Amino acid sequence: MKISIDHQKVDVNPGETILEAARKNGIDIPTLCYHEAYGGQGMCRMCMVEVKTGQTTRMVASCTYPIYQEIEVETSTPAIEKIRKNIVTLLYRSSPSSEFMEKLYREYQGGEMRDVQFSPEFSDRCILCRLCVKACEEIGTSAISAIYRGTDKRISTPFDEASAACIGCAACAQVCPTSAIDIFQSDTERIIWNKTFTRVKCGRCGEPFATREQLEYIAARTGIEGYEATLCEDCRKKKIAIQLSQFTD
Amino acid sequence: MQSTIDLDNRMILVCCGTGCLANGSMEVYEALNQGLTSTNVQVQTYTKPTGCNGWCEKGPLVKIMPDDITYIQVTIADVPEIIEKTLQTGEVINRLLYRDPKTKKRIKSHHEIEFYKKQHKIALRNIGEIDPASIQDYIDRDGYKAITKVLAAVTPTQVIDEVIKSGLRGRGGGGFPTGLKWKACAATTALPRYVICNGDEGDPGAFMDRSIMEGDPHTVIEGMIICAYAIGASAGFIYVRDEYSLAVKNLGIAIDNARSCGYLGKDILGSTLSFDIDIVRGGGAFVCGEETALIASIEGNVGEPRDKYVFPTEKGLWGQPTIINNVESWANIPVIINEGAQKFAAIGTEGSKGTKVFSLVGKVINTGLVEVPMGTTLREIIYDIGGGIPGGRKFKAVQTGGPSGGCIPDSMLDLQVDFDTLTEAGSMMGSGGLIVMDDRTCMVEIARYYVNFLAEESCGKCTPCREGLKAMRETLEGICKGQGKLEDIDFLRDIGETMQTASLCALGRTAPNPVLSTLHYFADEYLAHINEARCPAGVCRDLTHFYIEAELCTGCGLCVKQCPVDGISGEKKEPHVIDQEKCIQCGECINHCKFNAVKVR
Repeated sequence: MKISIDHQKVDVNPGETILEAARKNGIDIPTLCYHEAYGGQGMCRMCMVEVKTGQTTRMVASCTYPIYQEIEVETSTPAIEKIRKNIVTLLYRSSPSSEFMEKLYREYQGGEMRDVQFSPEFSDRCILCRLCVKACEEIGTSAISAIYRGTDKRISTPFDEASAACIGCAACAQVCPTSAIDIFQSDTERIIWNKTFTRVKCGRCGEPFATREQLEYIAARTGIEGYEATLCEDCRKKKIAIQLSQFTD
Repeated sequence: MQSTIDLDNRMILVCCGTGCLANGSMEVYEALNQGLTSTNVQVQTYTKPTGCNGWCEKGPLVKIMPDDITYIQVTIADVPEIIEKTLQTGEVINRLLYRDPKTKKRIKSHHEIEFYKKQHKIALRNIGEIDPASIQDYIDRDGYKAITKVLAAVTPTQVIDEVIKSGLRGRGGGGFPTGLKWKACAATTALPRYVICNGDEGDPGAFMDRSIMEGDPHTVIEGMIICAYAIGASAGFIYVRDEYSLAVKNLGIAIDNARSCGYLGKDILGSTLSFDIDIVRGGGAFVCGEETALIASIEGNVGEPRDKYVFPTEKGLWGQPTIINNVESWANIPVIINEGAQKFAAIGTEGSKGTKVFSLVGKVINTGLVEVPMGTTLREIIYDIGGGIPGGRKFKAVQTGGPSGGCIPDSMLDLQVDFDTLTEAGSMMGSGGLIVMDDRTCMVEIARYYVNFLAEESCGKCTPCREGLKAMRETLEGICKGQGKLEDIDFLRDIGETMQTASLCALGRTAPNPVLSTLHYFADEYLAHINEARCPAGVCRDLTHFYIEAELCTGCGLCVKQCPVDGISGEKKEPHVIDQEKCIQCGECINHCKFNAVKVR
């Protein structure tokens, strides 16, 4: 079926979200809580767009709005830009030490840096986009989640204690746009979410590349054990390359 | 005064709603029972504990039928006299009757009392008249007549048409036409389908749903069974907040009784309809009153709403078609079926049919539950039924619709209350909370109070609601402390607008109402705080300065007795003075002064 986004006719599959349809056609809609791998969460509300169906126009979150009928979408009107600007300001108030948010704030203020009244109860850097929670869920561990409610909401392990489910893979920290998840590590140890992990060194190059719990988890999930699982990503590639070159000889 | 009435077979109804229970009505009930079983009482009577009569201000209430006597504020000490005089000889005890403040006359029947005269009870029809634990009491008052009629001779489509024709709109606050919701659900193809009763009433000061669940649980159950038949549902859930222990208990008893009488379970009343109901006890999160959050909670997930671009009627509980209605909506259904849509639609306004239950609280003489036709004016509710403002104070505003409703000023007291007029006024119907405020209320402080409540009770999922409320709270706290700046007003308006359009659920979209409505109707109060460092109502302590006007002060000394810090002095019958060094701005002097001599700078 066909819809229009910013006066451009685009092809969409029924049930596809506006955001997916737009991005597929090279139309950018800003997001903070969206990741292709996890789908729309409808939380940050940066991706609000105007949808016109018949005579009625309304504001919707493009990452969760499924397209089932002919609609006209506007992704950037003065009203939408005002919402985005306010959302960025509100988030920056609560995460004053985030470089990511400072940059975004500057961008939405048209380059200049206006004074911001920072919130006395700021959260340092976290903007509660929950991509970390989604990443942990996808890994299958679900060691962290959003706890409490209202303005007290934050991301943590159950009871803020070291979680038995956490394997120290740091996928959460990797996906975090504001670098809000602290990792302390040496060659032999990694501390994340109040839990200490032993880092395992690559059997080939000797660089630490995973935690022991991570390797055990992978072994349990995939059934691959031993030498294969104790190589870092680079060395695994090299090993396969050598094996392949032997075949071609 | 001897009555000609038959002294036997009389019914004594003791109000055991939450308000009366707190005032000792259970003790009165037990004392009555004990006294009546003693050997020297010759008359045969029946005693019943009932649900809330709504007139909580005057509880515990005891009604004697068929004499139609209503005794107010009854204590255990009154019980022997009631037995001896009223029950054994038929004599009415004058001092226990309500005395009308205008006519100064004692009134025997509650039907003659102003508080009840203007009410029209549909949803509350049985409450106070029946024992909620007795299914027979419910059946005796046309209970389960509607479902019996429907199963015998009405098709599901006809049921839905009847509900559409009645014009009933969702009483939980959304105001969506109930019949259209049922129709949309019935049109889906997926099975199974579910029916949910939303009993997660969380507004501060609101207790209409609680009262219905406690006082007439069968009407909710019957409404749900009718819906199950209409949409083809097989299972139902009643989501009640766990703090409502009496509601949970009475609903449990009612479900068991309904099941053993064949109204729930397999092949209901010999038909092909099979439907049963479970109680789900909520953990007390305000946001779980939002339907998608409630559904998530029943599923065992965190109570967070989701975007409703696909309605629960299509994909609700466990992804299946689901009808979710509020307690009060359910209570209207059996009446619509029994008496016909036309009769129901004849009550109310063009866009809002039937009646609405309000919990009338705050600075009003008759606090309690009232049910009035849609379109009744705020003035009628507050002054005629509510009896006006206590202590001779001045009305200032009424907040409708719970914490995220707006505050309506006295210039709009003649507003005919319905879903649409309230929204136009910048407030909302919500679930029907009415909080009356007098001139000792600071509107900035009120906005701060509700924003703080919402900041704690928001689920915290979406940015506009969570961060917007946080920013609003900080700004309002600043204004109340005298640190406000003029640009704060623009900031509040700007953020408020973004919350209204971009928040995920209705909680966030309505959360700025208390701020935006007070900014609209009481802007001068904000300006007094910001520009003049003055709280005109004398509430915000940092900005309050009380003084006594010498010409008005009679030197009665009442304020001296009330002042907790010995901060007022003066000779007898001479004007008194407040020591500003000692004053802690508690407001006791201004609240108690009978001559209006204490003023706020």
